[in-house]
Amino acid sequence: MTLRIGIDVGGTHTDAVLLDGERVRTSVKAATTADIESGVIDALQRLLAADRFDAQNVRAVMIGTTQFTNAVVERRELTPSAIVRIALPTGRLVPPKVDWPGDLAAALGDHVFMIHGGRLYDGRPLAPARDDEADAVIDAIAARELTCVAVASVFAPADAEPEHAFAERLQQRLPHVRVVRSCEFGRIGLLERENAALLNAALLPFADRVIDGFERALAARGLDCPLYISQNDGTLMDTAAARRFPALTFASGPTNSLRGAGLLTGERHAVVVDIGGTTSDIGVLRDGFPRESNLGVAIAGVRTSFRMPDILTLGIGGGSLVGAEGGRIGPRSVGHRLLQTGRAFGGDTLTATDLAIAAGHLDLGDRHRLADLPSATVRRGLATIAARIDEAVDRMRSSREPVTVILVGGGTALLSEPLSSAARTLRPEHAAVANAIGAAHAEVGAEAERIVPVAERAIALDELERQARQRVAAAGARKDLIRINDVDETAVSYMAVPTVRLRVKAVGPLDLEALAHG
Amino acid sequence: MAEAFERLQKIQAEDVADLCLGSVFLATGGGGDPYVNQLLTEAALRSHGPVALVAASALPDAAWVLPLGEVGAPTVSLEQLPVGDEPLVALARYESATGRRVTHLIPFEVGGANSVLPLVAAAARGLPVVDGDGMGRALPEAQMMTFAIAGVPPTPAVAVDYLGNTVTFDTANVDDYERQVRHLAIAMGGMIFTAEHGMVGAHARGCVVPDTLSFAVGLGRLLRQRRGPAKDLLPELEALFASSSYGILRHLYTGKVVDIDRRVQGGFDIGEATLAPLRGPGEPLTIAIRNEYLLASCNDRVLASVPDLIVVVDSETATPINAERLAYGQRVSVLGIGCPGHYRSEPALRVVGPRCFGFDCDYVPIEDLPAGPG
Repeated sequence: MTLRIGIDVGGTHTDAVLLDGERVRTSVKAATTADIESGVIDALQRLLAADRFDAQNVRAVMIGTTQFTNAVVERRELTPSAIVRIALPTGRLVPPKVDWPGDLAAALGDHVFMIHGGRLYDGRPLAPARDDEADAVIDAIAARELTCVAVASVFAPADAEPEHAFAERLQQRLPHVRVVRSCEFGRIGLLERENAALLNAALLPFADRVIDGFERALAARGLDCPLYISQNDGTLMDTAAARRFPALTFASGPTNSLRGAGLLTGERHAVVVDIGGTTSDIGVLRDGFPRESNLGVAIAGVRTSFRMPDILTLGIGGGSLVGAEGGRIGPRSVGHRLLQTGRAFGGDTLTATDLAIAAGHLDLGDRHRLADLPSATVRRGLATIAARIDEAVDRMRSSREPVTVILVGGGTALLSEPLSSAARTLRPEHAAVANAIGAAHAEVGAEAERIVPVAERAIALDELERQARQRVAAAGARKDLIRINDVDETAVSYMAVPTVRLRVKAVGPLDLEALAHG
Repeated sequence: MAEAFERLQKIQAEDVADLCLGSVFLATGGGGDPYVNQLLTEAALRSHGPVALVAASALPDAAWVLPLGEVGAPTVSLEQLPVGDEPLVALARYESATGRRVTHLIPFEVGGANSVLPLVAAAARGLPVVDGDGMGRALPEAQMMTFAIAGVPPTPAVAVDYLGNTVTFDTANVDDYERQVRHLAIAMGGMIFTAEHGMVGAHARGCVVPDTLSFAVGLGRLLRQRRGPAKDLLPELEALFASSSYGILRHLYTGKVVDIDRRVQGGFDIGEATLAPLRGPGEPLTIAIRNEYLLASCNDRVLASVPDLIVVVDSETATPINAERLAYGQRVSVLGIGCPGHYRSEPALRVVGPRCFGFDCDYVPIEDLPAGPG
């Protein structure tokens, strides 16, 4: 018996599923709590109550969470953090955070530093590093009592020495300060890499609180198996990595719901509509995997280098406010206060969930409290929801042909009318916990990247492949099933010496047997 | 949705994102990512106000029109930022080196990153920008600009690097100029800024590809507002291009990328992308790449070739994809677009025709070629 538990900690709900191999044994829903931990404990308690399994038999727990994305979107739990860019004299008029939304930039404090140094494309120094500049920045970080710092230097993916040198100098003087280096976020693209490193730095203390909470919750329910956290691309990282790289979870929510929808239906090509409490996320499954965006993906208005699914988000969810007698739904939502403020629950706010209850599509709360609701409002409200989702599905589908639509998430009852864009609409069993199922089926993955002269390409590819495989194995993948799933090669054009950027990604399913013994 | 594009009187900060998106489309795979230049331009227009656009046909005889832009490696510019004031510095150094007062600026190419750079200097100096460019697309080298083809001498020219070093050029011809400026870019971090091919208004009127900035804004707006399957957007794209000096836009192929063979040779990305039908059997399409998409063919039957435009878009969102971002497995649609008339003359085809890029064929206008595979 290889039991494992998948948990999705969303903004409103904490869902948990128990899987035996590929089979869903039990699924439960609990409310997300402000401290996160007690919501996870509650979900695990419900799972135990419903299934009575032996905690000793659980080989792994996988958690997907939107907590870090929500923290950035809602500008909360962010620690004031410094960004040190090593690139002067370049970039002087394009400083860090230049294109950030003002309130998010302010949430991290005005701690932007630029110093000389970095590399050119050919490896030569862009400018000589100046110790006096570095020391002045370190003085300022000490004086402002900052504890989190991101450092980014030009061409760090090719040569990160300037970032390492600064980090070392900083930590010699201020050992308690945590430093995030942009080279840890891989890709070419200074602004995007710098943004990722800075958001990550600002989330470090929150990441410790969240992961501590997860670990305490597991311990409280007698689970002493390994804990993994979902990343953007559907792979997993261990908790040590999650404490260091919370930003790598930013798109894990949509990724898990897309993968979960695919696993629940067996569909390999479909549009997935995930209706939650505040928003509906519409994404596309292609060949069984989330369709990724070809453009740089913005998180809360900040461009990052992360590979993420192509998602269209509508401000329609179970908690959405209903206005204009059903003509307007959302984008404002009562969120997790639905069970207190919704009309069917004794409150005085008309929500989208109230419409579904009044129409008889959902058996929740007290339908009699909605007796005075005009049926025209109910009809128009539900039609508004269907029309907007229909339009979004139409925008996301790959061709004009009607598509298979999979409805998942807690709010699927909001959509009762047929969609003109859909050839068929599937509402799989366990749809409400698709995210948790996606999390439980995630794989482990790792990347290796380098810029090399073309003459060294073959050797470098071998070495990168070996590196990526080693990293995946170290992360817990079954060695015999590790595969290289992406080799990316980009020429650095116009160069005197022909040069290419190589990136290799390896993935593999988690080795549950090894976990059992490990 | 408008079938014709609107000729703008000015460019405002709110237009810049659409201008950049439209420019990436017209860049035919090359030109580089315009995002950083977009930021610089938006900031300049916000602090100095909009920049006036002047139709090429309205240029006074005595105007001094200066093309301004960057020369170097698009991939490098993803990582190495400009200082930010290079367009202004290049303009100032050009004026002090030549003793001329510049009255109008113009981009080298309405392709990728270069289309917005003159706006940065124009905003700060209160100068108008000509609504047009020297290519109507992106192409890699200086002698391929319509200014050079019309006989405008490239020099005196100045180049500015990221350290603020200035080099002044005085060369006998544009080929020597291109070789020298390319090697300077290689020596100085892979990216430099130049001001070159200065000309009087009387001369510019005849060789500028007209209206391309307004057109790129309109195109970008359409792509943004109607993001969705390329096939659905096709009628509107066809109508938009029909209303312009490009004339014809034609769908060539939709398929998935099944192979990318890319290598670096002589300072260029040289390669070939192979596309196969999404499902079922059918002829593959190959696209030859030399920084830009240059030649599309099915089993040696050419469907479109340089200087006509070959554009690759994400078939699901109609978002243009740069050659450096083309990847295995992507679902793409390939569009062919007629080049502006400036490139269809004998002298022009001698520097921008297929043979200039090593292809063993002569240019046949896209409207005279087969419309698709089989």
